[in-house]
Amino acid sequence: MTIGIPRALIYWKKPIFWESFFENLGLKVLLSPATNKEIVELGLKAADPETCFSTKVYWGHLIWLDGKCDYLFIPRLKASEEKLEYCPKFFGIPDVAKIIVKTKILTADFDERKEEFEKTLEKLRAKLAKSPKEIKTAFEAASSAARKADEKARESFLKKIKSEKKKIVIVSHPYNLYDEYVNLRIKENLAKLGAETIFIDEIPSGGVEPRDDGGIRMPDFHWEFGKEMMDKIGAALNYEIAGAIEISSFQCGCDAVMKEFVESKFKRNKIPFLYLIIDEQTGEAGFQTRLEAFMDTL
Amino acid sequence: MKPKITFPYWGNYTFLFENLLSRMGFDCIPPEETNQASISEGSKLSPDLFCFPFKVNVGNYLAAIKKGADTILMWENTGGSCRLRYYWIVQEKILREAGHDIRVVNLSFKNFFPKLKELSGNKISNFRILKSVYYFFRELRLIEDMENKANYFRARAKNKGETEKFLNEAFARMKKAENTGELAAIKKETLDRFSKIERSVNQDVLKIGIIGEIYAVCDGKANFELNRKLGEMGAETHRRLGLSQHLTGGFFWNEKLLQMKVDPYLKTTVGGHGRQAVAEMMDFTKEGYDGVIQLLPFGCMPEVSVRPILEKISRDKKIPFLSISLDEQTAEAGLLTRLEAFCDLLWSRRRAKNNYPSS
Repeated sequence: MTIGIPRALIYWKKPIFWESFFENLGLKVLLSPATNKEIVELGLKAADPETCFSTKVYWGHLIWLDGKCDYLFIPRLKASEEKLEYCPKFFGIPDVAKIIVKTKILTADFDERKEEFEKTLEKLRAKLAKSPKEIKTAFEAASSAARKADEKARESFLKKIKSEKKKIVIVSHPYNLYDEYVNLRIKENLAKLGAETIFIDEIPSGGVEPRDDGGIRMPDFHWEFGKEMMDKIGAALNYEIAGAIEISSFQCGCDAVMKEFVESKFKRNKIPFLYLIIDEQTGEAGFQTRLEAFMDTL
Repeated sequence: MKPKITFPYWGNYTFLFENLLSRMGFDCIPPEETNQASISEGSKLSPDLFCFPFKVNVGNYLAAIKKGADTILMWENTGGSCRLRYYWIVQEKILREAGHDIRVVNLSFKNFFPKLKELSGNKISNFRILKSVYYFFRELRLIEDMENKANYFRARAKNKGETEKFLNEAFARMKKAENTGELAAIKKETLDRFSKIERSVNQDVLKIGIIGEIYAVCDGKANFELNRKLGEMGAETHRRLGLSQHLTGGFFWNEKLLQMKVDPYLKTTVGGHGRQAVAEMMDFTKEGYDGVIQLLPFGCMPEVSVRPILEKISRDKKIPFLSISLDEQTAEAGLLTRLEAFCDLLWSRRRAKNNYPSS
């Protein structure tokens, strides 16, 4: 049995974990390729024109996988371990996917307000014809693999902050940070300009900022990335950051809210801030120009 | 010092809010009625990718702020998954950053009584709040009743504008009414006036269901008087979304029933009224409506999430479906053209059905 996993959007919430989980169950995993022009065009054709660019990319990956596997794995992510909600666009993905692709869909509701993650995994058992013990073993192996990847990221971060180069923090969702086609190879381009790039999620959390911050109130974000992002920005301020760049997918509803507070936090701490919106029409040349201009101001 | 309160403009519900607050003894400066200029001013201050109703709100507040409003009351739907819950805090942020010395007070089901009492300097009693809320619901029911009746008569009226005139006069009188007796009189007289409206020769009307995002659906200024335009094209419009349904329909058994209904198409909430849009589309289809129109602010997350599902229902059940996204750049002429084309389509299908009753 082959399980198809789109390498986009929800995948990036738990990279390494899912493919490891299914492989440890003895199943074949087909991960879609890294985002490319063909995939984006498949997505653009199928997606609602007003949905966010990140979702359009996801549909592209899904369509690319359609027919190439026995099941498409599309978990319904509703609430995280901290019992905070994922982006509401995630909720309906399995239902809309049913309309867009023909391959059978493997899904379960991951809502940690209702039940633990491990319990939800058991719901996949029947379709995969595996025993509870096999599920548990695979879960532990996958968790371990994910932890190792996290540790590597931690080590890389500790090296980066010791760097002499100008340190730039990139604030965005993981599906934008780790997708080089989507972010127009920002890491590579900044490196060419002499910067050390640090992704926001590489920064260990810690250091809670006071809520009422100089006349501008900060909300209690109900999104799992909301609180985490603000905490990590708080932590980032402990290191000598030369500048911050926030990247949003065009039509990202959540970022329309977040950006106000992300920008505020950096600016109040006198850190130069650049906001970039990406979509299918963003040209690398124009993007590069803005990065150059930004680096020049630092 | 007594706060001078303003709040969002929301179609025919606006005077409801004003009456509610005045009855509780607050000093109100009503928001400006939405118009192109207010939308433009609001959009200038608002984050670009924020939803349209947010920008409209900000525009409505500005005139009131100029007249001295220092406190804005905004609803906070804690528990909802769409961006509405952040409106209050982001509106406060951008208005203060623009130099306006105001604060935005977030009102919700959870803090309704304590917040209002605090705002009044603890001078208002629970009883007074309750009494004002009771009256609010009486007025609310009447507003929605009148709007529904107007939709019926407008579609069948010979002369354009007559229904509107009676409806607006009813609202003007309601604004000043002192008790429920007066409300009953207004209802009786308005229904009487409606029933005497001269009918057009052809009494065949289209039946169109309106679904989508609640603000866009219920605010005639934001949707370019869509109901009126359709009525004058001989279409009777119906909406299930409304403030009363929103306030009373959230109980958990309703949630369960709603989910059961949409389950074949959608197995979750998507925030806002997205799930409702699917349910209403299914209902309107089952009830034999000629077509369904979805109204949404451009980029509205819940509505955009379910749109592919609505389109699928339209294909599966062969019911014409039109989706209209609204933002600060929507042109009235373009909207009118789309509505006319939609009604033409519906009429031709009607005629085809009449000629070939079995199809």
